Amino acid sequence: MQRFEFLGRFSRNRGALVGACLILVVALMAVFASIFFPTDPLRIVGMPELWPGEDPEFPLGTDSLGRDILSMIVHGARATLLIGLFASAVATLIGVSVGAAAGYFGGWVDEIGMRVAELFQTIPNLIFVLTIVVILGSTLTNIVIAIGIVSWTPIARMTRAEFLSLRDREFVQACRSMGMSDFRIIVSEILPNALPPVIVLSSLVVAGAILFESAVSFLGLGDPNVASWGRLVGDGRQLIRSSWYICAIPGIAIMITVLCLNLVGDGLNDALNPKLRDR
Amino acid sequence: MAGELVSPTPALRGSARRTAALRLLRRRLIQAVPLMLGVVVINFCLIQMAPGSFLELMTAENQVSDPATVALLRKTYGLEDPVWMQLLKYIWALLHFDFGFSYRQNMPVIQAIWIHLPATVLLMVSSIALAVTVGVAAGVVASMKVRTFWDSLVSVGAMFFYAAPSFWLGIMLIVLFSVKLGWLPVGGMMKIGGSGGVLDILHHLILPTLALGLFYAAIYTRVMRSSMLEVAQADFVRTARAKGLSRNKVTINHVLRNALLPVVTILGVQMGTVLAGSVVIESVFSWPGVGSLLFDSVSSRNYPVVLGIMVLGSLVVIAANIAVDLIYMWLDPRIEIR
Repeated sequence: MQRFEFLGRFSRNRGALVGACLILVVALMAVFASIFFPTDPLRIVGMPELWPGEDPEFPLGTDSLGRDILSMIVHGARATLLIGLFASAVATLIGVSVGAAAGYFGGWVDEIGMRVAELFQTIPNLIFVLTIVVILGSTLTNIVIAIGIVSWTPIARMTRAEFLSLRDREFVQACRSMGMSDFRIIVSEILPNALPPVIVLSSLVVAGAILFESAVSFLGLGDPNVASWGRLVGDGRQLIRSSWYICAIPGIAIMITVLCLNLVGDGLNDALNPKLRDR
Repeated sequence: MAGELVSPTPALRGSARRTAALRLLRRRLIQAVPLMLGVVVINFCLIQMAPGSFLELMTAENQVSDPATVALLRKTYGLEDPVWMQLLKYIWALLHFDFGFSYRQNMPVIQAIWIHLPATVLLMVSSIALAVTVGVAAGVVASMKVRTFWDSLVSVGAMFFYAAPSFWLGIMLIVLFSVKLGWLPVGGMMKIGGSGGVLDILHHLILPTLALGLFYAAIYTRVMRSSMLEVAQADFVRTARAKGLSRNKVTINHVLRNALLPVVTILGVQMGTVLAGSVVIESVFSWPGVGSLLFDSVSSRNYPVVLGIMVLGSLVVIAANIAVDLIYMWLDPRIEIR
């Protein structure tokens, strides 16, 4: 029953519904990339610099080497989405841990946790990501961790605020008087109640992470084995005088995905926090 | 004498306010010390985590093979000392603005950054000015015409620019305005061989400013719109209307001033991201600022410069946040900042 209510509220937001559908399409593209385009997307398959529509075999055209752009976009969706999801997972894990500890225990734990959060908000985010990637190496894992490290602070603040308002409620006091351990109270009693706004933020962090990754790849510091959308924009940059579509298409893919994730985030916000609706 | 008793003079109120501002400034400066220390420690940890010896990498990347230079470097960086001693020495050096030496530019790191700073500051200031002007104006229009065509248009525009990667937007602007229309230069800060007159620089500044600023304009638009709508429901606005003031007067004098507060807050918080965003934009437009220097240093693994930019960037963010607190106090004297 509750679930239907959630779906009803979510689908009342038309933008969110469209966003969710498009995200689903991108996700399916990512999952079934090797079925749609079984050959290596980086293989040369046709004439170079064919404009979109010029040859029906390559609906989005070919790049400077004669590689199929549509195939590269579909395969790139996998890398882009995975990096976004994992980076958001890292950020959520760090943010929820720090925020929960700070909000629940208070005192010096809170003080230290929030000072550390402030510290990470002080360092210019992209510069920090670039520094980590440069020093530790341009691997997928390092990029994901670096993006997670610069994105966790809003989640920590939100989790802390939720924990602060929940930690002295009756049901928590009841658990405490039953002798439940702090860890169990945090994980199984307070956390489920604190999650809704955190989920909204996490979905927005995915969008932010995709933008971060695209910037890192665009600057040529992405994992050399991964053809993400940002890298495709970077690769096409030399040819903007003759064939600007090589740059434009992957950028549009990034924009649509980020836009849809933002719309879904707004929709989740409406559905999960009915109090805030109509703001 | 009587005058003094009747009304507290404005000068007195002004000086009280000034003392409060100074007290706030002092507290913020003291709070900034552990924050900066944290940034430096993170920096130091990153150096320690670098695979292989920092010195080996640096000498290899910069093609330093002279044994005397290597020995000198070893001594400068104190690589024989225990780790905690190295950290203390590092902090001591930074306190003297000694960020090391950049072999690529053949000058101290601080000097290399200093040379590139004006271009970045110019780009940041113009982008923020654009973002605030456009964002506030669009937000006010949307909130005054709420749930009309104009409101939707502003919202769609904001959503579009909020999702577009800035570097891609920059390239698309180049395609349209430089390649197709030929109105604006592709990149750089002044004409090749030009003397760099004000008009020439402004001409080159337009596209990078748009590419960097429109993203933030989108954020301010959304914040401004919801903040205007919220303030418009406050009691003092109803009072102002009840006094018989016109709608425009109420909007400008009562709603706008109070609705600006969240925008100011975000502005301070985002100073670091604007600086970071300029890295990408400067690379797209070959803008000769700190971003270009950072990109160049990142590609050549010139660590001292990268770390120096990170420390100075953090310093800028801290300073911006202090400035925002002071502006806040001026905008809304009721607010007591802890």
